[in-house]
Amino acid sequence: MIRVYRALLIAQLQLAAQYRLAMFLYLLFSIMRPLIFLAAWSAVALARGGSVNGFTPADFAAYYVILTIVQHFVSAWNQYDFELQVRMGQISPRLVRPLDPIHYAVAENIVWKSFTFVGVLPVLAIIVVTYGVQFRIEPWQIVLFVPSLLLAAALQFFISWAIASTAFWTTRTHAVSTLFDRTAFIFAGQIAPLSLLPGVLQQVAYVLPFGYIYGVPTDILRGGHDLVTSLALMGLQAAWVAAAFAASRIVWRFGIRAYTAVGA
Amino acid sequence: MTRCSLNFPSSGRGFAPNDALALTCGRGHHAVVAQSIVEVRELRKTFKVHEREAGLGATVRGVFKRRFKDVNAVAGITFRIDPGEVVGFLGPNGAGKTTTLKMLSGLLNPTAGEARVLGYVPWRRENAYLRRMTLLIGNRSQLQWDIPAADSLLVLKEIYGLTDDRYRRTLGELTELLALGELLHKPVRNLSLGERMKVEFAAGLIQSPEVAFLDEPTIGLDVSMQSRIRQFVSEYNRRSGATILLTSHYMDDVVALCKRVLVIHHGKLLYDGALSGLADRLAPYKRLVATLRGGNADGIDFSSFGEVASREEGKVTLHVPREGAAERTAALVRALGDRIEDLSVEDPPIEDVIDRVFTSGAEVMA
Amino acid sequence: MSRYLRIVLLFAKLEAQFELAYRTNFLFDLLQQVVITFTSLGAVFILFSYTDTMNGWTLPAMIVVVGVFYIVQGVGDLVFLPSAQQLMEHVRLGTLDFVLLKPVDAQFFVSLRRIKFTSIVEILLGVGIVVAGFTRLGAVDLVAAALFVITLACGLVLVYVLLLVLGTLAFWFVRVENLLVVYEAFTDAARFPIDIYPFWLRFAMSSLVPIGVAVTVPAQAVAGRLDGVGLIVIFAATAAATVFGRWFWKVGLRSYTGASA
Repeated sequence: MIRVYRALLIAQLQLAAQYRLAMFLYLLFSIMRPLIFLAAWSAVALARGGSVNGFTPADFAAYYVILTIVQHFVSAWNQYDFELQVRMGQISPRLVRPLDPIHYAVAENIVWKSFTFVGVLPVLAIIVVTYGVQFRIEPWQIVLFVPSLLLAAALQFFISWAIASTAFWTTRTHAVSTLFDRTAFIFAGQIAPLSLLPGVLQQVAYVLPFGYIYGVPTDILRGGHDLVTSLALMGLQAAWVAAAFAASRIVWRFGIRAYTAVGA
Repeated sequence: MTRCSLNFPSSGRGFAPNDALALTCGRGHHAVVAQSIVEVRELRKTFKVHEREAGLGATVRGVFKRRFKDVNAVAGITFRIDPGEVVGFLGPNGAGKTTTLKMLSGLLNPTAGEARVLGYVPWRRENAYLRRMTLLIGNRSQLQWDIPAADSLLVLKEIYGLTDDRYRRTLGELTELLALGELLHKPVRNLSLGERMKVEFAAGLIQSPEVAFLDEPTIGLDVSMQSRIRQFVSEYNRRSGATILLTSHYMDDVVALCKRVLVIHHGKLLYDGALSGLADRLAPYKRLVATLRGGNADGIDFSSFGEVASREEGKVTLHVPREGAAERTAALVRALGDRIEDLSVEDPPIEDVIDRVFTSGAEVMA
Repeated sequence: MSRYLRIVLLFAKLEAQFELAYRTNFLFDLLQQVVITFTSLGAVFILFSYTDTMNGWTLPAMIVVVGVFYIVQGVGDLVFLPSAQQLMEHVRLGTLDFVLLKPVDAQFFVSLRRIKFTSIVEILLGVGIVVAGFTRLGAVDLVAAALFVITLACGLVLVYVLLLVLGTLAFWFVRVENLLVVYEAFTDAARFPIDIYPFWLRFAMSSLVPIGVAVTVPAQAVAGRLDGVGLIVIFAATAAATVFGRWFWKVGLRSYTGASA
């Protein structure tokens, strides 16, 4: 398996080198969103005389800088690619190989996310300078952040794989993806730090998996939770990962059955 | 320079007034003299090509300092085409055929030289010129994939400002000639390659062009569809009198359609003249094929009679110089006597001639 | 001129036929668009649950901004963006040759070729939101309404030129579709008035990628925040952009046909 992954990673790396310009342009898109809401919240903080529930513009900047990093490593795009692959019939050659196609996606995620991270850094540096960000990060926060980030990435990946697998039945996967993304837009910590979401919305964010995708790891590193709360949230994250993994396997299996029954 | 003068419009079948394909515009001032439809003088196109090297280091260097190389795609060609001619444009890939066609249709500006088509300078791309010409490219589609061609044709009708009446008549004729049937009403993506090409022809000719440039119109089609397209082009030329310049990889296309050919290689015109003269000019030899009785040719040295092209199972093919063909044949008969079962002297096949020119790079000017 | 009008109508008819063939698509697009629009409005309400004004923008004024954002983005999605994509595809596949061989203005042809009718939903939602914002703003006088319409038209021209220029870049760089991501990313930022952004982003969104101006200025007009200078600047910018777009297109075309520029 290790050798398989080595080969997959190298192949992806070559692809990445080829499309590097395109990749960095796509980066612009993922960097812009946090920046937009950072600017909006700063304006709100200034209108209130300097802070919103304890968040100063610099705090917002710290939050959104970390969120950008989290989002970079967590967000997945498989559901969009996969629909295309199924429609164009490119998936069939992969299905006949003795390797579950999910591994291609995993390799792709690893390579592209690490490769493009270099491009995120200068933009983050500009934001840090513009907003005078000061990070107050305890060592334990970093220790917890890394596994939390990985859990979040796994959670998002399995959810996106489950959505992607619906492409075997429906060509409308894109609509489902959009629906999920827009819900995440509200509840995952993108439009506002979770603690600033009004009452019910905040509860929804923590009850459903959304909050665990971006908000939880971001808040852990930012110092938004104490040690106990952080560990508890990570436990819930792990539970959601298990659920999403199970869901993705089930949907995949049924999807394959539907696909091979119809043929394409 | 040998040139076959084809005068389809005046000889052949005359134009009935209701013949929709007959050229209606621009007849007046062209009918005065047998003026050329296409006139090309010393046309030249040089591309600057960015030299790419393999490897990461070279790629990085290339970002800062690019190296360019001049490529002479068309290196000064001169020719004329008379009204109603069907001329074949031959040459291997990269010889400059498509570049020339693109310049003549106004899609590329030349580096130097002159050209007039229907009296216009093509690359000024005047609407008056564009209305009277067409360019069809074999493996490219101008029709929209998801809708029936009939709908795309309606857009073309407006673009060319065709009257309802003229549009209906032209489309009717094209439908008949191409046997389009219901093809126009099916989404283009549901058509086979051959069917699509027929529909492309209808779209390219709806404006009744006086000049048609056809770039590999039969590429990728199966043999029977190729011959159908050929018949169409020939019949279209006969009915409409349109002047046609076509390129093709398939010699059959050229043999069937063109009395006159232009051979281009490395951007230069190697030959301009009758197809029948091509072998005389470019292949100064004949094929002498001898079949020996008993199928046994062992032990005979044929090399004194000519260049041995092939030798198998008692059948020998010799290339002998054109001038001395008769004497060599006589000598062969004398030497072998009644061991010869069959003997023939023929011109080499046109493919071989062309191939020989292109591989040897012979520069035989007509 | 009437020939050009007839051609546009025919383009529209073709595209309508095409989209009608995929009716379920239309319904899904509609659903997506409604969800997207309402979550955007939701974001504004969350922000304004903590404040009454943002950089001087009141909630009703901000609602107008969101509405204008969807109108501008919708018009872009309706015709300019799909046409720019089509142009890039034409260049990539070599089928632009067929466009250039037609006796009509090629810029006209490529600018209006594709129409994505489902985006009308986006525009209508935008109009609805603008009207809702208007009514909450209280009395909007006729002058402000007129200025709104005029500046919105200017904004749409700016967006058109931006996409034309991006599309024209295909003449030099073959794989240029990715550049449209730049358009989409900056368009995303236009959902808020550009004055809340840091200097460098504000600068980018009002000069290189003027989508920010295209949304903010019409909203300023109704919110009574547009002064004479701003008005003159947007007029001048629109005029300059139109000339520049035409010039750039011609240069691109000359490069494509290999004429010395």
